[in-house]
Amino acid sequence: MGDKTDVWQGTLALMILKTLETMGPQHGYGLARRIEQTSGDLLQLNYGTLYPALLKLEQEGYVRSEWGTSDNNRRAKFYELTKAGHKQVRKAAAEWEQATEILSRFLTPAEEA
Amino acid sequence: MRAIRAIWMRLRRALDSEFDAELKSHIAMDVENGIQRGLDEQEARRQALIRLGGAEQVRQAYRERATLPWLLDLQRDLRFALRTMARNPGMTAVVILTMAIGIATTATVFTWIDAVMLQPLSGVADPSHLASVATMAAGGEFITNSYPDYIDFRDNLKLFDGIAVMRPAAFSIGNEEHSDRVWGELVSGNFFAILGVKPEAGRVFLPSEYGDAAGKYPVVVISDRYWRTHYGGDPRAIGSTIRINQHELTIVGVADPAFHGSMAVTSFDLWVPYMQQPMLNGVQTWMLRDRHTRNLLGIARVKHGVTMAQAGQELKALADRMALAHPDVSEGVSATLLPLSQSPFGPQGLLVGPLRILMGVSVLVLLIVCANVANLLLARATMREKEFSARMALGARRGRVVRQVLTESLLLTSLGAALGMAATPLLSGALKLLMPPGFMETLVSLRVRPNLAVLGFTAGVCVLAAVAAGLLPAMQVVRLNLSARLNDGGRSGTVGRRRNRMRSVLVGGEVALALVALVGAGLFTRSFRQTMRIDPGFDPNHVLLSQLYLSTNGYNLAQRKEFCRRLEEQMRSAPGVDGVAFSDGVPLGFEPSWWEELKVEGYAPQPDENMNIFRNVISPGYLPLLHIPLVEGRNFTDQDNENAPPVMIVNEAFARHFFPGRSPIGHTVHGWGSWFRIVGIAKNSKYHYLSESAPPYFYVPFRQMYREDMNLAVYVRTPGNPDNVLATLRRKARAVDPNVTVFDAAPLSEFIGASLFPQKVAASLMAIMGGIALLLAAVGLYSVMAYWVAQRSQEIGVRMALGARPAHVLRLVIGKGLMVTLAGLVCGAALAMALAHTVSSVSFTNSAMGSSASLLGQGGGDPLIYIAAAAFLCVVALLACWLPARRAALINPNDVLRTD
Repeated sequence: MGDKTDVWQGTLALMILKTLETMGPQHGYGLARRIEQTSGDLLQLNYGTLYPALLKLEQEGYVRSEWGTSDNNRRAKFYELTKAGHKQVRKAAAEWEQATEILSRFLTPAEEA
Repeated sequence: MRAIRAIWMRLRRALDSEFDAELKSHIAMDVENGIQRGLDEQEARRQALIRLGGAEQVRQAYRERATLPWLLDLQRDLRFALRTMARNPGMTAVVILTMAIGIATTATVFTWIDAVMLQPLSGVADPSHLASVATMAAGGEFITNSYPDYIDFRDNLKLFDGIAVMRPAAFSIGNEEHSDRVWGELVSGNFFAILGVKPEAGRVFLPSEYGDAAGKYPVVVISDRYWRTHYGGDPRAIGSTIRINQHELTIVGVADPAFHGSMAVTSFDLWVPYMQQPMLNGVQTWMLRDRHTRNLLGIARVKHGVTMAQAGQELKALADRMALAHPDVSEGVSATLLPLSQSPFGPQGLLVGPLRILMGVSVLVLLIVCANVANLLLARATMREKEFSARMALGARRGRVVRQVLTESLLLTSLGAALGMAATPLLSGALKLLMPPGFMETLVSLRVRPNLAVLGFTAGVCVLAAVAAGLLPAMQVVRLNLSARLNDGGRSGTVGRRRNRMRSVLVGGEVALALVALVGAGLFTRSFRQTMRIDPGFDPNHVLLSQLYLSTNGYNLAQRKEFCRRLEEQMRSAPGVDGVAFSDGVPLGFEPSWWEELKVEGYAPQPDENMNIFRNVISPGYLPLLHIPLVEGRNFTDQDNENAPPVMIVNEAFARHFFPGRSPIGHTVHGWGSWFRIVGIAKNSKYHYLSESAPPYFYVPFRQMYREDMNLAVYVRTPGNPDNVLATLRRKARAVDPNVTVFDAAPLSEFIGASLFPQKVAASLMAIMGGIALLLAAVGLYSVMAYWVAQRSQEIGVRMALGARPAHVLRLVIGKGLMVTLAGLVCGAALAMALAHTVSSVSFTNSAMGSSASLLGQGGGDPLIYIAAAAFLCVVALLACWLPARRAALINPNDVLRTD
């Protein structure tokens, strides 16, 4: 387990948003599983941290929640992107890409210079 | 506080339980998943909890996210604000008290205005369609209506749902042994239907009781107040009989608790059909049909979809037709609709003028309060610039600092606002204290409810001002360069200087406003004094006045006269009594003054001349008792009785007008259907207002002209204090008839103050408001100067070290303060002059006649008052500056220079 990475600060929200965008409405447990799977099990995700993060997104108006029934007939709270959430995914993704791109210029050996 | 906490706990529990459910479903799914992978349930649950990171920890994190940030901050800010307030108790007290005074006075005045002018009647349906019917005599004075007028209005108006008439009346309730006097209204049967008043119990008058048959409706509706105080709210009161003026009437219902009668700020307890008068107070049936008997006020309900203007036009057209049809009584009479709030009758007519001015003054006070609070908070925020800078340097975000200042300002001001709001209901009741003595005082309703909207608005303005004042400096700090602020010793920043200028402007404004208030107080007081100095033409000192309500004892006319004769006889022999007299009207009083249309022998009136001449019905003792001299002829005597030929005494103005250049003695005058011979001329005196110029006036003898609907005022002259003779009067009245009670006795000199009442109210309230304004301005000036000195203490120290003497420093500080004061005075004087011009046009009406008199004597141009007010303000300003100046002069350069 020691080779797994912790979730970087500030990235969990984007992971949640992106996952919700691709998967549609999803409950907390499903989201946690999905994020783990997407990371190829490289990420050490504390499932519990998901809920305050979801609440924050909800307070910010990016997601909304509703009680529903899961695949195996269990009552669960489902989260879904709002319109603002869709916009935020694009914005945050673009920002992240820019950040990684800037960082990658430092990390890859200079070719043009 | 506990309630808020309870709500909060419940909210939190709801939130928690929802999250618990979510968590539970999460764990269950994870456990299920584990079991599918072949783990036993216990192991699956263990792993699920590990992955989750502990249920309780998650719950904690979630709760923090859900609630805590702002709540915790708020709690911290509040605690900090309280500590700051406790550290500056003086400034805290000043801010809170200033706000409380400002809010309480302003809200009180607005509450009165609301009760008198905006919502004059409560408990009625749809008051926007109700209007006061104002009949006007040829001269434009408001007069009352007769019952035949009412019938004409009722039967001919098409744009109205109806018209109701009423007159206030005193009743005595109870049997011969014990009776109470209660005020009520004699009303037309449709009164409740027109006003739209619902019964609280029983019923109001039925359509079958709307008729015009005299004495056929022995029913009464009582007020909720009377029902509760006298019947304990017992439903069995309905249908029981009540003994009114020694006659049995049936209580048919209780009016809506909100309904107090048809006059603003008054409370009546009984409503009896007007047609019951012959039974209740012996009014002759023919008088109910007499167009001369004008004693009714009218309220009309306009049909839906009809504008007041249209309805008013129809009313005027009808009144004009009626005037043509009955030229003998109504020549030149017209009528118009007035909003209820502008009805010239009752206490309202007296209060409207002074209240208007008061409204302006309270706005002044509110402005001063705002300026003052802003000033103090500005000073405080400036002093704390360094603290804010330090907070930011330690990592506080801008929003956080602003929020803290906001919390502090809000806490401080809402404490002040709460105190002010709490005081308002107490002050509102003081309206009663403002009413003149006599029946008006007993009538005025104490039930003026403070208006929440008004309170909210006033408090809102103050809080807004305070918050703006507290916040602006904080915002400025937040935008500043941190290191500059921290490095600067916090003594003499440029920002400080700009803010000082702003504070000076604020204080200058306060001084200006205070000057306006002071000048106003001065002008009104002078005007009041001037009127007071006018000689009324009679001597009201050492005279006790009382009203007898003999008709309420079931007396007929002859019995009343007999009672008066015997009472006079009894009183004459009593010790300490110099004279006794009776009359219908009281000079300079509040009760209506009546007139009679006269024909004067040998005088041809102009085509549009008003021949309705004011009169009084008096006993022979009246003129001597009041020291009104006869300039010619003789006084009435006991021989001028029912069997003797009618006689009359006229005043000088009457003689001069109708008999120019010759003596009226021996000539005859026609009125009330018979000819009166003039036997004497009395000196002019004041009848309605002290400021009136002598109108023609005449007197007729009590024994010849007294009628059932007239009042009976009794006067007793005594060498000593009039109050001391009251016991004698009571005893003697009881000796004549044990059932007669003497109510409402007051020295005549106090009673006639009634005619001065609006001026008195204006003068005394203005003086109070002026005092408050002055105090606030002084506090403002002091705080600015004290702060200035504190800020400059180092500079002053340096000056003194370089050789400046304490006297120089004193001059420096006081000069600075006086500069601000003088600038304020100049602006204030200009403002006051402009306002005085406007105010001098405000008048008041006296319910006696509904004609208006000016509140402010002669304009507002007395330079002496301006100079005196300005000088007074200067002295106060000097004092306010002197304290900080002395502190500055006492600065020891050594100490100051060493500390920094």
